Amino acid sequence: MPQFTDLLFYAFAGLTLLFGFLCVANPLSRNPVTSAMFLVLTIISMAGLFVLLHAFFLAAVQILVYAGAVMVLFLFVIMLLDLKEEDRRKLNKTAVGLGSLAVLGLAGVLVRAMLAAKPVIAAGSKPVEGSTKELGRILFESYLLPFEILSILLLVAMVGVILLSKKDLK
Amino acid sequence: MNSSLIVVEILVGLLGLGVLLADLWLPARNRRQLGWAAALGVGIIFFVSLKDAAEVTYAFTAPGAKTGMFVQDSLAVFFKQFFLLAALVVILMAVEYSDRFATGVSEYFSLILFALLGMLFTASTNDFTLMFASLELITITFVILNSFQRDRASSIEAGVKYLILGGTSSAIMVFGIALVFGSAGTTNFNEIAAAQKTLATSPVFLTGLLFVLGGLLFKIAAFPFQIWAPDVYQGSPAPSTAFLAVGSKAAGIVLLLRVLFSAVPAITAQWHHLFAGIAAITILYGSLCAIPQRSIKRLMGYSSIANAGFLLLGIAAVSKAGATGIIYYIAGYLFTVLAAFTVISVILARTESDDISSLSGLARRSPGLAAGLTLAMASLAGIPPLAGFVGKFLLLKAIIPLGAQDPVYYGLLAVAVIGVVISIYYYFGVIRAIYWGGKPTDLTPIPTSWGVRGALLLCVIGIFWLGVMPDTLIQISTPAVEVLRPELPLGLQAKP
Repeated sequence: MPQFTDLLFYAFAGLTLLFGFLCVANPLSRNPVTSAMFLVLTIISMAGLFVLLHAFFLAAVQILVYAGAVMVLFLFVIMLLDLKEEDRRKLNKTAVGLGSLAVLGLAGVLVRAMLAAKPVIAAGSKPVEGSTKELGRILFESYLLPFEILSILLLVAMVGVILLSKKDLK
Repeated sequence: MNSSLIVVEILVGLLGLGVLLADLWLPARNRRQLGWAAALGVGIIFFVSLKDAAEVTYAFTAPGAKTGMFVQDSLAVFFKQFFLLAALVVILMAVEYSDRFATGVSEYFSLILFALLGMLFTASTNDFTLMFASLELITITFVILNSFQRDRASSIEAGVKYLILGGTSSAIMVFGIALVFGSAGTTNFNEIAAAQKTLATSPVFLTGLLFVLGGLLFKIAAFPFQIWAPDVYQGSPAPSTAFLAVGSKAAGIVLLLRVLFSAVPAITAQWHHLFAGIAAITILYGSLCAIPQRSIKRLMGYSSIANAGFLLLGIAAVSKAGATGIIYYIAGYLFTVLAAFTVISVILARTESDDISSLSGLARRSPGLAAGLTLAMASLAGIPPLAGFVGKFLLLKAIIPLGAQDPVYYGLLAVAVIGVVISIYYYFGVIRAIYWGGKPTDLTPIPTSWGVRGALLLCVIGIFWLGVMPDTLIQISTPAVEVLRPELPLGLQAKP
């Protein structure tokens, strides 16, 4: 008799995969806005997986930041693009073939590894609680160095965006 | 925590921020001077970094781990000096090249410093988390450095290609790290090394490790992740290409050494045929594709792939001799490639075409530049008594004793020798263009600043130093190699 949380896991995982597939290869629509909307649904299903892992803060951030802020930005960018040109583009058969081959190969490796794996709890590791307090402590104490490196990374990205998109070159 | 451990990193970060801020108060015509200041700063930091690590020290310990995610040992110190030296030469090169940038000259200098910061952290990485953060800092910075000449379509193309392929490889790598963490319960290299005997039987861990390798092989442009190199090398501004060829590749190499030779040496020993295969295909691909190239930067792109293959010979040798060979080869590669790109960037700062034929008459226009480029090409081809010869010799020497026990290594040796022979052909094509090229159209000498002349002189001295006195660097690198613990595969011995 499977547990209720197990059922929830399979439901959310299945939805994540389904929406993820529809986001990149929707057979019905090639409209980028539809893809972006499916990406929102993918992100929300993934937030469900985080909740099942007791990572409540991460789930909330996932919805607030990714499904909310980042997606709005995506939609703005899509609106700035010329969608008509995208419609005229034909699918490149070789690229689709090679891409599917790569995806199938990667999926094959992963599925084989997962099937052969035995679920073990690694020695010495204790379950991580995903509360905000715990997460903050880990982030700002033991993982302070990568955190600070990423703050430099954000600065670099900002400088780069300004340099590459500034209107007048002077 | 002892903050004096990361003093070099902090100084480089502050220098980068300082250059970025100083731009606000400097009048536009003085921006080039900022480059001299940045080069001076990096030079001073280089002398700060000269102190060798007397013992292995860890910092930034994660909960439940015995050692930290940041390690300061001889290997880290060696590669930090390497990165600082590379950045110094690249900044001097960039000062000369900066006339070509329509905007953002001072930002270019500070971005080089931030990429340097990422590289410094890779040298001290002892944890997959820190590895990912520092590699991302390098990748994102290089996207901007590559597309810096945004008025040129090829530069934008280089940036976009690097962004998409780099993003894909980062995604695969972070997925691999997740699998590693999921099966090992830790991301710390020492903890993984302690548990590697059990982890070697876990298919999930092995898959994760394979994905991480994908990300690292992308960085050094090894087969099958090499496809970006020629386009990006050709399209990017010459100083960016130089830093990409030297710094980014060395960052990948130091991480490969740390992961393969100190986190999971037992698994590396199991996979030795995989590395031998990748090395052989990379050498052949780079060498054969370089033959028909007409663009000097594209040629350097394919040469960079072939050199990634030579570096992987040392990994395939799974021994300390192989690690010594790698360190020697990458040090020689630093001086050689930077010498080549110093000359290339001086020439390209004046002409639009990067065709090899535009080098004709260089021997009469600027004999100094011509001599520098000739030496670099001869060293890349492995002509004694230059740096490239000793590097290739040490790598092949590490392979030979394994050949008697495992015929695969004789095959690898044969491929490497074929690669060397082919490379002599295409590198000497460049030398022929310099001295015996067609009728030159322009015979005016190319003006160079003292900074560029100094950088070129430094590289040439380095090429000769490593070629004539190999003992000194081998002695310097001995404590760095001692940090690593490669394990030979079952049935193979270092000495037959």
